[in-house]
Order: sequence, then C-alpha cells, then structure tokens
Amino acid sequence: MKARPGLWRPVYAVIERDLVKLWRQKGRLLSALVRPLIWLFVIGAGFEATVGGGEGSYRSFLVPGVMGMAILFGALLGALSTVYEKESGVMRMLVIAPFAHRWIVFAKMQAAAISAVFQALLLLIILAVLGDLPAHTDWALLALGIFATAYACAGIGMLVAAFSKTLDNFAAIMNFVIFPVFFLSGSLYPVGNLPGALGIAAHLNPYTYGVDLLKHALPQPTGHDSDFAWTLDLAVLAGFTLLAFAVSAWRFSREQAYAPLFGLSQRAASKAK
Amino acid sequence: MSAAILAQSLVKRYGDFTAVAGLDLEIGRGEFFGLLGPNGAGKSTSIHMLSSLVQPTSGRAEVCGIDTQADPVAVRQRIGLVFQDSALDRQLSVWENLRFSGLLYDLPLAETQARAEHLIRLFGLEEKRDKPVGSLSGGQRRALDIARGVLHRPEVLFLDEPTIGLDLPSRRRIWRFIAQLRAETDMTVLLTTHYLEEAADCDRVAFIRGGRIVLQGEPDALVRDLGSDIVEVSADQPESVRAELEAVLGPARVEFETLAFRPPRHDAAALAALTESLGARVRSVVVRRPNLNDVFLWVNQ
Repeated sequence: MKARPGLWRPVYAVIERDLVKLWRQKGRLLSALVRPLIWLFVIGAGFEATVGGGEGSYRSFLVPGVMGMAILFGALLGALSTVYEKESGVMRMLVIAPFAHRWIVFAKMQAAAISAVFQALLLLIILAVLGDLPAHTDWALLALGIFATAYACAGIGMLVAAFSKTLDNFAAIMNFVIFPVFFLSGSLYPVGNLPGALGIAAHLNPYTYGVDLLKHALPQPTGHDSDFAWTLDLAVLAGFTLLAFAVSAWRFSREQAYAPLFGLSQRAASKAK
Repeated sequence: MSAAILAQSLVKRYGDFTAVAGLDLEIGRGEFFGLLGPNGAGKSTSIHMLSSLVQPTSGRAEVCGIDTQADPVAVRQRIGLVFQDSALDRQLSVWENLRFSGLLYDLPLAETQARAEHLIRLFGLEEKRDKPVGSLSGGQRRALDIARGVLHRPEVLFLDEPTIGLDLPSRRRIWRFIAQLRAETDMTVLLTTHYLEEAADCDRVAFIRGGRIVLQGEPDALVRDLGSDIVEVSADQPESVRAELEAVLGPARVEFETLAFRPPRHDAAALAALTESLGARVRSVVVRRPNLNDVFLWVNQ
C-alpha cells in the first residue's frame, strides 16, 4: 500500500496561489483599499454635513465598519474565485488530486480569509497613517476580530460558491448577498436603530457580529457603541464559520457542485431534461 | 495482480438520459487501451466514473484493485487524468502550473522540480517555462496538460481525447510525446478518441456506442476479421448502379456519392468485368486495405 499523501502541501498550494494572484492583480488590491476609504471620506463627510454632530464623530463611527468592509469584500471575492475556477476548469486540477473534496473547501476558505486579513492589514496601516485609529485601540482584540470576521466572511462566500454554477449571476450575488450583508450590519449605523424586520435581519447576519467585534477593538472616544458582548460576537462568528464549512464541504463532496467541469455529461443531462 | 482498470456493469443516468449503459472492461497492467466512439457515446462519462469523479448510478469500478467508490482518494493517488478540456491555470506560468500540481500531490519541491524540468524538455516547452499559459498555442497547452497529468508518475493514465481540436502537426507531436512517456514508464494508458486511426497503436481497443461496448479486440485482429479488402465505388448517381454492384459485391454502405463494399472474397477479374460493364456510370473504383474506421463503420451498419 502506498502511504496516503499529506494535506499540508496541497492546502499550502491553494493558499499560496491565491495570494500570489492577489498580489499580481494590483487593480483588485488597489480597489480593495480604495473602496473602504471612499466610504470613510465621502459617506463619512456627507453624513456629518447632514446630521451634524461633533467634528469627525460619524467618521470615527465608520472606522470599524470600513475595516469590516475591507474584510468582507476581500474574503467574499476570494471565496467566489472558486466559482471562477469551476468555470475556467482550473478546479479540475483540484478535484482529481488525491484528497477528499472537503479539503478544497478548507483550503479555499483559508486562502480567502488570509487574503482578507492581508487586505485589512494594509487598510489598517493607511488608517494609522491618516490618524483615524482610536487612541484606545485594543490590538489583541483587533487581531482576533479581523481573523474571526475574515473566516466568517469566507464562510459566506464559500456557501455562495458552493451553490452557484457560474459567475454569470455575479451581479445578482452583489445585489442579493454582498450589499444586504454589508448594509444590514452595524457598519453604517448601530443595529439597535434598525426597525422591525431589518433589525431581525441584521441580528441574523453573521457579519453584524464581526463589525461589532471590531467596534469593541476600536472604541470610540464618545463611549461604546457596540451592540453585543464581544464574547457573543466571537461565539457567533466561530459557530457560523464552522457551519458554513460543514455545509459547503458537504456540497463539494457531491458531484453536482462541479457541474461545469464535466461538460459532456452535463450537456447530456440538460438534453435529458 | 489485480487489473489496472476493472469495470462491471457501470451505468450512469442523468434523469431519463442514459450516458453509460452497462460498461464492462478489464484492462491489464501496462496495457495501452483505446476506448473509441463518436461524440456523446459515453466515453468521457466512463472515464469520469473510472477516475472516481462521477458516481455510477449502478455497477462498480476498480483501479489497481481499489474500489472507486470505497476509496476515491487512493484511486486518485494512482491515476493521472488529462481532461478533454484544459485543467491549467491560465494566469500562472508553465512552471507555476507544474509546481502547483506537484504540491497538490504532496510531492517534495525538489522532486517536482526535477520531474517538471524533464517533462518541459521532453515536450519542448523550454522557451515557455516562465510564460503564462495564456500565451501558449493549443498544442503546447495540451502538452502541458499531459505533463501535469503524469507529473506524479501515475500507475494509470487516462487520456480523454488528447488530440481533439488540434491541427495535424500538433496531433502528431502529442502522439510522439505519449509514445515517449510509454517508453520510459510502464504505466497503463486508457485513451479515448474519435480519430480511429490514432488508436491503431493501442494493444486493444473497444468501440463504445450508446453507452455500451459493441466490439473489442486487438486493432490488427479486428481489421483482419473484417476479412477482405474494401471496394469503394463513387458515382454521380450511386443508386442507379447500386443493385448491379450489390449482386456481385454484397450489401453496400452508402456514403454520399460513394458506395462501399466488403466483398466476401477478392476477385480481381470479376471486379474488372463489372467496372467494364458499368463504364461511364461510375467515376472511380478503388480497392484498398481496411482500417479501424472500416471496422467501426461496418460494426455500426
């Protein structure tokens, strides 16, 4: 009997490849940084002009939210590259490799989360240079918050990737996944202010707890505006990450998840319908 | 020693459509086996089932004695699969693709490097080593796909239509690469193709049609069993001469303006007399040796 191949090299390979590609796609990296900064400057300044309040108070409220945004977009787009890989056929290299297919999900989630952390760190440096980081930043909690949020967001992306066959519906994914997840969180306003159904949706949104955890780590001078205990935030994020992994891994263990890869059989299947 | 590939009554259905309708195969170690048939005959689906990627609706398969459903990882460890469509990452270079594949098979980097450099040289990709795959020609890309498929030295290699969509020089080059690979290893190769002339070098071939094997054997023996030379008569109005010809040569197979016959025995004198009597009503009469294409066409008659 041959020894079973190990898992470290394959998992490392997937992570390394995604990071190398991110680094080479300077446009993607740049927009990942510019997007949150635009929100911080434009929305921050705009709202302050509208509703008043202290100088820079809304802008400083937005800091955890834009950190979360960098993580959310970074992790989600990273995980969604799985769909692109199904379409372009690169996924063939992964499905024929000698490991259970749940490890593809594991590796892609790691890659998505790590590239999100990387993007968050770059943004953090810019925010520090701009002087937007609060004086009482809890660095340990911030590190924890960035990682926990990145994994949960990678989980959201993986769930979408596991169930969508093509990127044709990317606009739909933007509209029905990324925007609701972002807007129905505490990024732009405290969750407590959201009425009725929106409030419930925000409470069900795992990303809400990520932003909340970042608010704990980046406390505002005016006092805490977080909605939940940081331990609850962490528990929800960890629980959701595990659930998202389990569901995506189950999905990826079924051949339907690879539909575009087996062109002939699928064409035959659609003919049969 | 167990067979390299064993399939017992493999069936794959998609809804009402039956892609593979009971495939039985036994391929020995080191054998070069061709699975032949037209597009949509179920060749790719068969390969996907044999390589553990697609679950059979019923039946079972083994690779090197390992059940594909009981232990798919052990099966994938022993096989290489060159898909009909490329599996390469177009954004990465030739070397980066091989490096990535080597890591996926848990090969130490030094081993991947040594093996990759050898394959890059063997397949003439030296100048493209650090170029993105997107800049490669179709033939070069297919060569790299094959290199990727054999990088980890599989015991069994599946080649799904390795020359499809390539021009003739590229096809010839791919065949030379495959012959070189077979010469340096003792791996079993299962090839699918619908270019039947390419399967003439196989140890054995099987014709698959409608998801079922209709004929199998050694290519030479199959051609020999066809028994006779093929007589091809072309005419402007083939139907007008068909009856006369069939009386002497047996049933015809009509292909556009050509009638093909497989006369029970070769009788040059009778054929000459017949040609004489038909005169200008036929354009040409050709007698030639049969090949695998003929076997396939007559089998499906």
